[in-house]
Formats: sequence, C-alpha cells, structure tokens
Amino acid sequence: MPNQELFNTRVNRIMTAATLGKPDQIPVVLTADAFCAKHMGVKLADFIKDYNFGAEIMLKSFLDLGGVDGVQCLVPAAMEINNSWLSRYKLPGRELGDDELWQVNELEVMHPEDYDDVIKKGYNRFCNDIVIQRLGGTGAEMEPMLSAAPAAAQNAIEAGIVPFVGGVSTIPYETFCGGRTMAKFMQDLFKIPDKVQEAMDASMPDIIGDAKGMVAMAKPLSVWVGGWRTASQFLSRKLWERFVWPYFKMLTEAFIDEGVIPTLHLDADWERDLNYLLELPKGKFIFSPDGATDMYKAKEILDGHACFMGDVPPAMLALGTVDGVYNYSRKLISDFGPSGYILSQGCCIPPNAKVENVKAMIAAATGK
Amino acid sequence: MSKNLINAMADLNEDVVLEEVKALKAQNVPALDIIASLQEGMSIVGKRFEEKEYFLSELIMSAEIFNEASKLIGGAADGEAASRYGTFVMGTIYDDIHDIGKNIVTTVMGSNGFNVIDLGVDVPTEKYIDAIKEYKPKVIGISCLLTTAFDNIKECIQTIEKEGLRKDLKILIGGGPVDEATCRYVGADHVCKNAQETVEYSKKYMGV
Repeated sequence: MPNQELFNTRVNRIMTAATLGKPDQIPVVLTADAFCAKHMGVKLADFIKDYNFGAEIMLKSFLDLGGVDGVQCLVPAAMEINNSWLSRYKLPGRELGDDELWQVNELEVMHPEDYDDVIKKGYNRFCNDIVIQRLGGTGAEMEPMLSAAPAAAQNAIEAGIVPFVGGVSTIPYETFCGGRTMAKFMQDLFKIPDKVQEAMDASMPDIIGDAKGMVAMAKPLSVWVGGWRTASQFLSRKLWERFVWPYFKMLTEAFIDEGVIPTLHLDADWERDLNYLLELPKGKFIFSPDGATDMYKAKEILDGHACFMGDVPPAMLALGTVDGVYNYSRKLISDFGPSGYILSQGCCIPPNAKVENVKAMIAAATGK
Repeated sequence: MSKNLINAMADLNEDVVLEEVKALKAQNVPALDIIASLQEGMSIVGKRFEEKEYFLSELIMSAEIFNEASKLIGGAADGEAASRYGTFVMGTIYDDIHDIGKNIVTTVMGSNGFNVIDLGVDVPTEKYIDAIKEYKPKVIGISCLLTTAFDNIKECIQTIEKEGLRKDLKILIGGGPVDEATCRYVGADHVCKNAQETVEYSKKYMGV
C-alpha cells in the first residue's frame, strides 16, 4: 500500500476507534522515545543533543517495529515537562552518563508566598520568571524541541505513520506540585487552600489560551491532558473535587471545543473518581491509564462513553515474556474491542523494554 | 495518654495538637508519654487510610503535624529513643534520583514509631550494606521509579545475600512501576504500594 494510502487508512482506523466506532482492525498507537534510542543503538546523550536527529531515530524505530498506526510523541520528550513541573532535569551527557535516562530532579523552587505572584503576574509570566531566575534556564529550552516537531510530523506522515498526539497540556496542580515538591504542596492544600485555589483560578486563562494557540498552530488530532500527580489515589475526594477536577474538566472541554479529541494521559490510580469523567461529552475523549487504574473497573463506568487506550504495563514490557505480553494484549483487544479501543502501552514504553515484547504487543493487533 | 491529643492528631487538627502538646509539656508530662499519644493518633490515621477515609494527602499532613508537635518537645520524637518498633533503613537505588515516594515513606514511617535511616537517592549497594551492618534493621526499603533500575535492585539484594545479611532481614521495594512480577524478579520480600502498607508490613513483621 503506498504510504499516503496507508496513512489515510490509519487515520481513519484511529479516529474511528477514538470516536467509539468499530475500525477495520484495532489501532496501535505508541508512546516511546528513549526506548527508540536503545532500540536503534543510539546513546541517549546523542539522542537528545539534536532533536531532529532524535526524531529520525524515533521514526526508524517505529518503522522497524512495524504495524504502528500512530504515535503520541515524535521528538524526544526530555525537556517536555520541564516547564510544566517547574523542575530541574538531569540529562544524559550533562549531569548523567552518556546512556543514562533523563530524570526530574525535584527541588523546592516555589515557595508559599509565590502564589501571590501567580495571582499578580499571571501563570505564564510567573512560570517564565521561575525558569529563568530559579531554574537557571533561559525560557527558550523548549525551542529546539518545538521547532523539530513540524518536520518530524511531516516525515511520519510520509512514512505512513499518524502523528496522533500533537501537544501536551496540564492543570495548575501539576505545575505547583512540581515547583513546591509533592509533600509541601499537599500541606499547602490544608494550610492555605484559599490562596492555592486563587492562584489556580488565576492560572487558567493563560493555560486555556495556550491550549487554543497550540491547537491553532499544530492542528493536532489529539493532545495530552496530563494527570501525573493528580490521581485519586493521592488525594482525598474533598481535595480532588476542589483542586483537580474543575480544572481538569475545564481544560479538557477547552480542547474538545477546539475540535480536538484529548487523550487523558492518567498515571497512577484514578479508580475512585472515574464517574466524574462521565461529565465530559460522550465519544469526545480518550481514557489512557498507565496500568495502575483497573481497566476493567473503568469499563464498568466508561464503557460506551470514552475510547479506551492502553494499558500494557511498562514493567511487563521490560521483564515479561513474548507470550505473556502477547496474551495480555490479546485479552485487552478481546475485552475492550472491537469498538472504541486503541492498543497501547501504559504511560510510556520504557527504555529497557525488550524489542520482541513490543513487537508481540503490536502483533496482538495486527495478527502478524 | 491524652485523649484530646490522640483525637486531634487523628483528625489532623493541627492547632489543637500543638496547643495540647504545649499544655502537656507545661504540666511536666514526660516527652515520651506525649509521643505515645501522638503515635496513637497516627495509628488511627493509618487505620483511616486503610479504610479509604484518608489518602496520601492526609498521611503527609499527619506527618507534618507530628513533626511540628515533635519540635515543641525538642525533637524528642526523632531517633532511637522514641522509636517503639526499631530501625528502618531506606533509599532510592543507584542510577535513580527520584525521591518523592522515598521521602513520603520515610516521613510516614518516622511518625509511626520507627527510627528511620534515610540513605537518600542514587544509593550504591555498598551504602545499603554499610547501613545494614551499622544499624541492624529488621526491615529495609528500596525505592525506584525507573524500570531501568530493576537490575540495580536485583544486584543490591543479591549482594546483601552474598554478604550474609539477609537472614532475619525483610527487603521491601516500592515505586511507580514496581509490581509483584518485579518483586519476584529482583528477589525482594514484598512490594509496598504505599507508605501505610510499609508501616503495616513492618509492624506485623516486628510482631507489633
């Protein structure tokens, strides 16, 4: 099949599933970056030195795996959540060995009095000032990654692979939690809740504005609405209802209003509050847990309301066997397909995933 | 024991906890008795966590209140003297610098009657070995967030065994991607999904 035709078939396959329809076969949409470098024998320091090179390596890896309908990232994501979490990063070839995985180095860079600054300055200016003044950045760290993305998307399309997710956004909770550190931020929720809420409210106009700008510029099929530290397992319902859900809903609905199907990238366990997702419009978003939320309990609540994506656990891809991964994936397809389901890993394919395991996951959908 | 203090601690009522501690101190109640009440309150917090009335947010807040109260009595709740259940050693394995989970577990263990030795992050095997020899803990915890660190945990546990230090020692692991299969792979005794499970497992093992 020529690549353009293949691309069209795959777009149709993914979008049919995303909108709760029954595609010709279960689509496979992966998230992987460091894994691709390992897969292609490239050191991580070289992989992130030049984002265009990193993107080339990722595409080579996806093509070698075969049967990948779409991807959720096209360039190495080493710096992607740097600003979202107001955190320093340790990078391979800089603070780490050449082939060690980049990691968040969480330090308290934001203090309780800074909430007033958010309220006064607005979210974007506040974050930019923190990055420059306290994280030693220039505010332009994301530029190489952002400028590599359009060409990476075009190359993927020409190769017949759908660049499904074209951006990442999240709510103020994630940003403040990263800047304050998790324990200190949770204490803020008890000690100065009104102030935190005021800062969150003051942040949303910038976050929504950026979300709309991102859609207008990149015209993605989907975007990530990230929930990393906002899972139900971390917070009492009272706190979650106040500091997570209103903002999460607002952001998700903003993307839906722009004609995008948000992928709710949800790490950790969201089981307790899954019924809140029913407040989002049916068939307009993707539920993508990381392996920690029980997909079957989620199905009891969200079946027929949201497309499911996932959730082959990263640890299984690293430690499991080909048969184990294949059987797990087949069971997902059987239990969650044939309509409204996309096969994928939970969270991200880890760098030490076995290539044969990733291929086994894909084979469960393609039959090859 | 002070019922007021126990209840205020269990209800996360920081102002009342601090007032009550000050009042008990003024009445010359021994520091260890005050700590016992605080720890009793923490046990109720743990129970509420298990019953899903409380979550991580409440565990963290309870530890913060405990620590603030401890400062009022000169930090008497820290260290071996106040530890009812012995020493717990913990760190994040080498090549992994994530400390959120590790910090939560050490804080919660510290406020639940354990003498905690926090080895930090990116901890080499030798440091675990030295700590086991020095502090003779009955339970240690190894944390990681990266699947790439699984082999490091495995190596660490194998070395602990080779050194003859595994007898009577329980090795717990925890972290985002860690599951039962990981536990078997690295040769640990138990995988803890949260801080409270670490408390309960350790207490049970120590016969509390």
